[in-house]
Amino acid sequence: MADERDDNSNKPEAPPDPGRRKFLKGVGVVGAGAAIADQLLLHASEQAKPAAAGGASVEQGAADVVLNVNGQKRTARVETRTTLLNAMRNHLEPQVSGPKLVCDQGTCGACTVLLDDKPVYSCLVLAVDATNKKITTVEGLGTLGKLNEVQTAFVEKDALMCGFCTPGFVTTISAYLKKNPNPSLDQVKEACKGNFCRCGTYPHVFEAALSAAKTIAMNNPLALGTESEVRS
Amino acid sequence: MQQPAKKMKKVMVPRVVDGKETMVEIEVEDTGDSPKWGPNNAHRLLNKNITRVDAPLKVTGAAIYSYDVRLPGMLYGRILRSPHAHARITKLDTTAAERIPGVRAVTVVPSAAVVEGSQKATEEADKKNPIKVGGTAQPASNAVLKIVRFEGEPVAAVAALTPEIADDAIRAIVVEYQALPHAVEARLAMKPDAPKVMPEGNIKAASKSGDREKVAAAIAGCDAIIEAEYSTPTVHHACLETHGMVVDYRGGNTATAYASTQGTFTIPGDTAKELGLPESAVTAVVEHMGGGFGAKFGIGVEGKLACQLSKQTKAPVKMMLTRTDEFLFAGNRSGSWQKLKGGAMADGTLVALDATQYRLGGLGDGSQANQPYVYRPTQSYREVSSVYTNQDSSRAMRAPGHPQASFAIECLIDDLAAKINIDPIVFRKKNLPDTIYHRQIDRGAREIGWERRNKTPGGSAGPLKRGMGCAVGTWGAGGGPSCVVDVNVARDGAVVVAVGSQDLGTGTRTYTRAIIAEELGLSISDVLEKIGNSKLGNANASGGSTTVPSLAPALKDAAVNARLAVAGKVAPLLGVKPEEVIFADGKLSGGGKSLAWKQACAALPASGISARGAWKEPLQARGVHGVCFAEVEVDIETGFVRPIKMVHVQDIGLPLNRLAVASQINGGMIQSLGMALYEGRVMDAQLGIMLNPSFNDYKLPGTLEMPQLVSIIDDEDLREAVLGVGEPSLIPAVGAVANAVFNACGIRVRELPITPDKILMGMMKEERQKS
Repeated sequence: MADERDDNSNKPEAPPDPGRRKFLKGVGVVGAGAAIADQLLLHASEQAKPAAAGGASVEQGAADVVLNVNGQKRTARVETRTTLLNAMRNHLEPQVSGPKLVCDQGTCGACTVLLDDKPVYSCLVLAVDATNKKITTVEGLGTLGKLNEVQTAFVEKDALMCGFCTPGFVTTISAYLKKNPNPSLDQVKEACKGNFCRCGTYPHVFEAALSAAKTIAMNNPLALGTESEVRS
Repeated sequence: MQQPAKKMKKVMVPRVVDGKETMVEIEVEDTGDSPKWGPNNAHRLLNKNITRVDAPLKVTGAAIYSYDVRLPGMLYGRILRSPHAHARITKLDTTAAERIPGVRAVTVVPSAAVVEGSQKATEEADKKNPIKVGGTAQPASNAVLKIVRFEGEPVAAVAALTPEIADDAIRAIVVEYQALPHAVEARLAMKPDAPKVMPEGNIKAASKSGDREKVAAAIAGCDAIIEAEYSTPTVHHACLETHGMVVDYRGGNTATAYASTQGTFTIPGDTAKELGLPESAVTAVVEHMGGGFGAKFGIGVEGKLACQLSKQTKAPVKMMLTRTDEFLFAGNRSGSWQKLKGGAMADGTLVALDATQYRLGGLGDGSQANQPYVYRPTQSYREVSSVYTNQDSSRAMRAPGHPQASFAIECLIDDLAAKINIDPIVFRKKNLPDTIYHRQIDRGAREIGWERRNKTPGGSAGPLKRGMGCAVGTWGAGGGPSCVVDVNVARDGAVVVAVGSQDLGTGTRTYTRAIIAEELGLSISDVLEKIGNSKLGNANASGGSTTVPSLAPALKDAAVNARLAVAGKVAPLLGVKPEEVIFADGKLSGGGKSLAWKQACAALPASGISARGAWKEPLQARGVHGVCFAEVEVDIETGFVRPIKMVHVQDIGLPLNRLAVASQINGGMIQSLGMALYEGRVMDAQLGIMLNPSFNDYKLPGTLEMPQLVSIIDDEDLREAVLGVGEPSLIPAVGAVANAVFNACGIRVRELPITPDKILMGMMKEERQKS
């Protein structure tokens, strides 16, 4: 449907047709500085057209991606430069907004998801690189009716305040306890050193992680047995 | 018939503007019959550990924050910032940006949107330097931005189909700047020939008090004198959810603003003004928000731009700041520079203090509590000024001005104690007339093991030296008559409590339910709360630790009124008087009979009962104390400081939820630890820009820095009244950590943050003096 307010009628509606890549050449004079990332320039291939006026480089290539999120195959059409985080938050319908955008540069861990069961910063992963992989977000670890052990411990120990860092912590710790079911306090600190909290919930987060480990061990005597066998 | 005149009484209440608190006297109705909380140890739900009611939503990712709001047809906004600290814009061309497919609107920041402090300067400059702003389709009224006054000042904004396209559009806006001389460092800005940040000068005297000559004479007669300068850098709120909002406006008669704010009711007025709607046509929604710490009042420049873009496109616009935006133009805690000279007698009497205090708030006034902070020497003099620089204006940040003042005086107190060779906590107690501090100091000292400390600073053997420090703080923590609470009990027994207030992560939702449940003899899960909506009962903005003391009394009042209303309908069934009905264990009983809650509610009218509550002064109090102890380990070979343990003792009257209070005290200690050891904005004086506007380069305390944290609620405070705890819990830790470093290694660092280089420099100086 044409947008009446849009005086430039040849603007494609996003997400644009992947076959009609437009590529504007030239670099912004001032302001935000030069740069669109080099790899985007590399991605831009056919039908490169010079820009009419001096502006930034724009790559409008889009791709259909199939994302396997929390056991469901979800599809979206995104520009190839779109991060997994932004694809989940801004393109999937309904959105997956448990992972939060906070630093957008792989520092704070609020966007942590599991990619084939390994924790990654989803702001540093391109959506196109996450296809054919198992993506687990905080929503996939437990639900309101059935919290996992880490989520339950977070509630009980008050390991959250504003809660914006919580999805990242819960995801990181849930994955870590699978790897190390019986961690020490120092190991917990080390495991979530890539997650920031500003309200100051760290001490309760540590308590929750250690408490969740105990619950998991109790609910799963087999695993505990294995662990003690390994030690003996 | 004439109504009897209402009996009024005068009370002092805090007025909080942008988180800054002043006390004002107001008249409130003297109803004479305020309900009472009862003894602090006699509650069923309150003063216990209550898990947060919103925790399950938050641990599963189901909580929808303002940043998560996604609406059909919504556009994403982005802001173009000035790369210069001070410059004239000579050309602004948005043509290329507008041509990018997917870009829906471009707007130029009007000068009126410029943050507090810089406005006057900008207006003055605008008059002198009119220029033409290029670009297309810009209304003439927008063509007014000519001078930018700090790096990061918003210049233009765009709305596009995706954030990625919005980023492209920002890069495509062509701006030509003519750089002007700037001053970003206070000490340079104070020089007579410094570039003018403000037309009337870069130093503004704020206040003076005391007789300087008398103070000088008193100091001269002292046994120990310390004269030193203390400085603290600009630090950042670093809320994980950045500032911003989603404006849902499609050109109709109404709009909804989903804002990340500390003040639900600070949103509709400004949003309506920008959209050209009446205030009542705008609803603010704040379901969950990701931290504020004093930086989030009003819609801000980002909110104004979101409204403009929404108005231009007749589509919802999400304008959430990027992390860099957040560092550069979303406020900060003002830096400080304090010159103190104090003297004490050998018997431990603090005699006199001379203080020169500079508030370093960029283009704003900054804030700093007056010296002498908490301590009361017999003689004191102070002069306070603001120094302006080309940096964005500071805003309120958790206990505005207090940690800066506390750090300086606590270091001075500690140094005096060392000089007269007296135990620093004995010296403190001698000079703190309020004995509440004494019991808190004793409690904290026991917990940290004060007797283990170095008797001589730096006195322990080996390169890893441990030390302990102590400091105190104070805050108002009282409230005012701003909240209106409604409770509805339905015939099916459903209880809903509604008030427009917001939960910043402080636990508002949880105690809102708990107070009602306690009164009605129900459990937490029997009550539902509705908060964070400007169409609900009025509530104050969460600044100055005023939320609990303003809201909880109104909740209690509403709960009592609801109980009386229900009792009035149910009492006849029990055959007792309404005031004799007992609400407990999910039952109503009296006269030997008992009805389950739902059974009893069947006696209510079809519409249920509604009760309203208002603030009752006696249910809250004013004035809290806090004491922090810290233990650290300093590696004198590397200068590295490792925090070992921190203890904070806090009086708070009736703690509504001990679990949430403990979390908040922990949070105060951690943020203060950050200020002491890690955090600080780093400016390049030549370029006028911030060198660390990211989480990679701005060091926040993380999990590896965490010491053992012990938060102690001072239960010897028997006030049957509620008080706020957010701000007081932050204040003293910064001084306690600094003093612990001194006790550990004997090096006094007076410039925050205490980084390894400063400790090593201190040791080098000491070596040189010895040789």
